[in-house]
Amino acid sequence: MPEKKVALVNRKASYGSTDGRESLDALLALATFNNSLSVFFIGDGIYQLIKNQLPRLILQKNYQPVFKLLDLYDVKNIYVCEDSLKRRNISENDLIIKVAMLSNKELKQHLAQQDQLLGF
Amino acid sequence: MQINKTKFTLVIMGPPYGSQSASSAFQFCKEAVENGHHIVGVFFYQHGVLNGNQLVSPTTDETNLPQHWAALAHKYKFPLEVCISAALRRGVVDQSEAQQLALTQFNLTTPFVLSGLGQLAELSAQCDRLVTF
Repeated sequence: MPEKKVALVNRKASYGSTDGRESLDALLALATFNNSLSVFFIGDGIYQLIKNQLPRLILQKNYQPVFKLLDLYDVKNIYVCEDSLKRRNISENDLIIKVAMLSNKELKQHLAQQDQLLGF
Repeated sequence: MQINKTKFTLVIMGPPYGSQSASSAFQFCKEAVENGHHIVGVFFYQHGVLNGNQLVSPTTDETNLPQHWAALAHKYKFPLEVCISAALRRGVVDQSEAQQLALTQFNLTTPFVLSGLGQLAELSAQCDRLVTF
């Protein structure tokens, strides 16, 4: 049986809720068992990837360094909704890791290809 | 009539009170097992770990979700796995963790068990369908 395609879908900003951080924890844990993972950043979820955040100022731990581990854990399918970036006037250069940009149509196609989705 | 049995894994991210997530999950779970489907396991993550808190004490005319989960899992013999890292951050602790951390109390009792996120990968691999709440 082929390995299941599992995707984590992030729709919330970095802080204000722990969804982003706990999604990333789950992603790394799953990555040690599954090589067919994808991660999506849609809507406010893209704020998680913006450089130079200072969460200590609001008593939160900066989890952004963990994004750098995705490469090491062989998580290659990192997708960002292009429309969400544009609407927020954010450019790809503002993001801390290399991502693949997807149009709304491509996004739907990629999501439809997954066997399992975990939404955060 | 023969029904096609499905192996389900449920992932619960919502607390037992305050959002509909866990209540919907419980109703889904109950219907599934009572109709002959198989629950591979229920994984509690994020605020979902609070479903394992046995100190939850709603008024008697309201639903006590932790007790309901425990009874259903006991009856149909499926595991209730609580993510340990999410649980400890939210004050959900079993007896052995309480001892290790020198805490005077614990609030997780059987059949809930603390387990790691690796178990989520295991449950994800074993099921036909994974449903998140």
